[in-house]
Amino acid sequence: MNATEQNIAVDETSNWELTVRLLKFSWQYKFRCIQVLSYQLLMLFTGLAGLGLTGLGIDFLRYQVVPGTDPPNWPFGLEPPVNIAPLSVIMGIAVTILGFALFRSCLNYFYTMSMGKLIYVDIVATLRALVFEKMQKLSFRFFDANASGTIINRVASDVGALRMFMEGVFIQSFIMILSLVVYLVYMLNIHVLLTLACLATTPLLWIVSVIFSKKTRPLYMENRTLMDNLVMTFVEHIQGINTIKGFYLEKDSIGQFEQASGRVRNQRQRIFNNVTIFAPFVGLLTQINLVILLGYGGYLVVNGELSIGTGIVVFAGLLQQFSGQISNLAGIVDSIQQSLAGARRVFEILDAPIEVIPPENPHLLVEAKGAVRFEHVHFKYHEMNTVLNDVDFSVAPGEVIAIAGATGSGKSALMSLIPRFYDPNEGRILLDGHDLRTLRIEDIRHNIGLVFQESFLFSNTIASNIAFGHPSATRDQIVKAAKIAAAHEFIEEMPEGYDSIISESGVNLSGGQRQRVAIARALLLEPAVLLLDDPTASVDPETEHEILEAIENAIEGRTTFIVAHRLSTLRRADRIIVLDHGRIVEMGKHDELMSQKGTYSQAINIQAIDPASMKLLKATRTKKDGEL
Amino acid sequence: MSVRHDLSLARTDKTRNREKEQRPLELSLIKRLFSYTQPYAFMRNILFFLVLLRGALIPLLALVVSITINGPITDKDLVGILWYAIGFGAFALFLQITLVYRQKFALELGESVVQDLRNLLFRQLMRMPMSYFNKTRLGRIISRMTTDIETLRTGVQNVLFVTIVGLMQMICSGICMAYYNIVLFSVILVMAPLLWIINQYFHKKISATSRELQESFSRVTASLVESVKGIRVTQGFVREDINAGIFRRLVQDHSSYNLKASRNTAIYIPLLELNSQFFIASILMIGGYGTLSPDWDMPVADLISFFFLANLFFNPISQLGLRFTDALSAMAGAERVFRLLDAEPEWTDASDAQTIDSMKGQLEFRNVTFAYEPENPVLHDINFKAEPGQTIALVGHTGCGKTSIINLISKFYLPTSGEILIDGKEIRNIKSASLRSQMGVVLQNNFIFSGTVLDNIRLGKLDATDEEVIDAVRQLNCLDLIGAMTEGIRTKVTEKGGGLSLGQQQLICFARAFLADPRILILDEATSSIDTITEARLQESMSTLLAGRTSIVVAHRLSTIRSADLILVLDDGRIVERGTHTELLSLDGTYSNLYRQFIDSDI
Repeated sequence: MNATEQNIAVDETSNWELTVRLLKFSWQYKFRCIQVLSYQLLMLFTGLAGLGLTGLGIDFLRYQVVPGTDPPNWPFGLEPPVNIAPLSVIMGIAVTILGFALFRSCLNYFYTMSMGKLIYVDIVATLRALVFEKMQKLSFRFFDANASGTIINRVASDVGALRMFMEGVFIQSFIMILSLVVYLVYMLNIHVLLTLACLATTPLLWIVSVIFSKKTRPLYMENRTLMDNLVMTFVEHIQGINTIKGFYLEKDSIGQFEQASGRVRNQRQRIFNNVTIFAPFVGLLTQINLVILLGYGGYLVVNGELSIGTGIVVFAGLLQQFSGQISNLAGIVDSIQQSLAGARRVFEILDAPIEVIPPENPHLLVEAKGAVRFEHVHFKYHEMNTVLNDVDFSVAPGEVIAIAGATGSGKSALMSLIPRFYDPNEGRILLDGHDLRTLRIEDIRHNIGLVFQESFLFSNTIASNIAFGHPSATRDQIVKAAKIAAAHEFIEEMPEGYDSIISESGVNLSGGQRQRVAIARALLLEPAVLLLDDPTASVDPETEHEILEAIENAIEGRTTFIVAHRLSTLRRADRIIVLDHGRIVEMGKHDELMSQKGTYSQAINIQAIDPASMKLLKATRTKKDGEL
Repeated sequence: MSVRHDLSLARTDKTRNREKEQRPLELSLIKRLFSYTQPYAFMRNILFFLVLLRGALIPLLALVVSITINGPITDKDLVGILWYAIGFGAFALFLQITLVYRQKFALELGESVVQDLRNLLFRQLMRMPMSYFNKTRLGRIISRMTTDIETLRTGVQNVLFVTIVGLMQMICSGICMAYYNIVLFSVILVMAPLLWIINQYFHKKISATSRELQESFSRVTASLVESVKGIRVTQGFVREDINAGIFRRLVQDHSSYNLKASRNTAIYIPLLELNSQFFIASILMIGGYGTLSPDWDMPVADLISFFFLANLFFNPISQLGLRFTDALSAMAGAERVFRLLDAEPEWTDASDAQTIDSMKGQLEFRNVTFAYEPENPVLHDINFKAEPGQTIALVGHTGCGKTSIINLISKFYLPTSGEILIDGKEIRNIKSASLRSQMGVVLQNNFIFSGTVLDNIRLGKLDATDEEVIDAVRQLNCLDLIGAMTEGIRTKVTEKGGGLSLGQQQLICFARAFLADPRILILDEATSSIDTITEARLQESMSTLLAGRTSIVVAHRLSTIRSADLILVLDDGRIVERGTHTELLSLDGTYSNLYRQFIDSDI
């Protein structure tokens, strides 16, 4: 939490600023937007033309059949010549309706397609790639501070929020305004007073939609929280079934679950009470419009001021479309809220500063020798607590340095400064005599091999995992690295060898095997410096020796930093650095440190073998040796 | 454009067998689903009534409009117009009121049935033995509770009632139209199947595309998830740009499927609209011919009525198509949910199983053989006896059968042959509840639930007061470790123990078991190494925890092993050596070798 505040400027921009920014963002797609809107406008007109023509057809028929009816109002003075048979006129109108309909269908196709291109190609794909690219370059602080789920959501669904802004807000509002204006003009053109009378309820509809969405949104949000809670309760109880059954908690669990489930249901009930009133209410308002149309429109027809077809029938059609558009408003208001929230999260990533800045005129360092020097290094993850305090030492090429200390003593921080995952707050770190900040980041990291506590392998083939740092590596290079890492044998034994896919339901590697693949991955680059961050931590003590052998091969001829607890590793090191609260408290070879009787020797003695057992073991060994 | 898989960051698993999304309508499933509405029979019956009523009344409402136009408006009868308009208003009001209840009852009914099913499902899951959870993927179980149940909700809420309204509406408006003008109506009738065919064709196409879309999106998210989880590796190996390139291709590939989906709707929606325009044009043509030709005297009024009614006839068709698809998914969901509800646990407590009130804690294995799958026994002929208060350490390589032994003692599984006796009683004859309430289990992957540390410890004894919980931690001599957390014992823990160190998580599990104060304690020591200082503290608390109870420990720590009363060395499911630490070391066998590895010394 605190780390994010530091790293990412907490976004305090107002909704308005955000909207302006989104509009600017949309502006880059102005041509496509104009294209989309023109299609929509054309569709609007063709739709109206179809409706108008239907009314015209009805009026014309009535004029022909019902005596005493007024002649229809021919649009644009396009009255057919008198000598054409009425039936042909009707056919003509019908064919024109069909023609317009066909034209509109084509328009609709192009509209939908260009909308699709705007949304999926121009916006979503570009933005996803952009956010992903940026995310990958962010500092680990960001990843420490945010749960992986929320980071994933930013790329996967929050980007969708920006799309929602384009589709649901930007374009929709234009369409709404356009169509309302067009409908309004058309209706006013038919009869001014009738239009006003029929639309008298519109503001009410508008207000109700907005109030409704304001009222239900928190309810829906609450519901989502309750539902998430229910699913989480469920998932936890299934994942923790061992504990549930072990402590005989089934009854209590059922009670808990049913409570959560009941809460969801009761809250839904409240939503239902609201939702079920809204739709009928909107329906009723629309129908009130119809009542007014029938009453007042009927009166106008009686007075000869309005025709039935182009008047009432067309009006009825228009009113339906009109209230349809108005009720869209609630949707637009909703989308604004949602898309702003998502946009904020996306912009947070896009705006986040990249912490480790590459130098402008870097020294070139193709093959490092592996001399590492820490010069009075101070480091903190965030303001409050110092993680490393005046750490100062130098390491010659090929030296093996073990780092020991309690949890939180700064071991991992020290390790992560060497590949320049972070920059120190004070002091500097040198590789082959160059300050890391003057070297290209690629150069630094290509010269450093990394093995983590729990090595992450991608669900891909073993070969491509080993070649991760150097995707164009040949099979020979891969096999060579695997052999050094003592991984070749078990890989060969797999049904598909190096092409076996590591995954949940593919090959399952044991902890020891995973670490050996990870060591091979680090070795492929033939790095001068090797960083091993407690590589045996997550492995059974019984299988630990598998990894130890790999490590033994790997450190040959490389400057090695290894975080370790195990005696054998510590004993093997050229030098041990003991950290306590970020300071180097002891430094030296195992035997030297043991004789100092400090922190180190105390810690070691805890895991040391007791004299009695030692005696027994020695006794049997000598017996055996004697037999030989 | 398709992505070559060796280019992608993460390969999505093609071999994973997908669950069927649809299933043909099946009467037995429908009947059973319907039976769950029985507790709400009154509401359901009213709902049926409302639905039928509305199906009939909606076309009538439209008819009122056209009657008004054809009647008083045409006749220029002002008073009539007023009455008709008022009548229409009242009718509309009534219809909307029925709509309120129609929706409300349908939603409530669906929600109630869903809640009942959810609870039943959960009860059933709690009844299932451990073997079920080891065999079934978590994702599957979750989707029973989420996706499948949601399809059932749609089934109850929508399919049945919307279908009835739609059908009624079609029938009634059809009857009205046929009554007015049979010829015009038959034209419309011909178009109906055409519309149905178009609908079904596009539904199929659209759902096929949406499947492809889902698959391509799952490729995108799989890569995304791995990129986030593997960010340290990516940055450490300077792969940012390559990964970004891969991801860009994946996203483009995904957007091409999106476009494909857009193309489907871009054809389908206009086609539907075209259809409705087409019928207006044909009504005009036929109607025009009918009214104008002297030998076929058709009133213009019919045309207006048709204008209003035909929509009511056509709209349900695309609705029904959608509901049909929903119904098929509901069938698939129902089948899976019911299958889980009906699954019989592999075993349950014997009907005459007894409760033991106060267990002494004597434990004996007699010739126990055990297999998870019949062809693959993992334990052979295991014999040992633990007297009350003794500590037994199980030692051996991964996969030698240690975990299976503790699974059997917890009665998570039953032995294939042989007997397990507790206080001299065969474990099969003891109620699981009574057994486990006097037994504590601390497993390696012991689960930390989201909540406070306090809540988590209290799981050991639900009615413990805060003081009792704190006292338990104090007795384990770890109050300072818990106190060091941000909010002490009330520190909130997120999913799976997030926010706590491994050592702290272990401590919580110890305290949980200590609070439960069991006669028999089963403990699977964590393998992960914790730094030596914390480790020493944990060791201390552990000896307090073990004191005074029979303990079975899967041991990974030297000190634990050394102080055990009996060490069982397992290899490939058999006990190969047994005795105390000193005895075993003098044997110079498997144990000695293991021990050397442990202390990694070549003495």
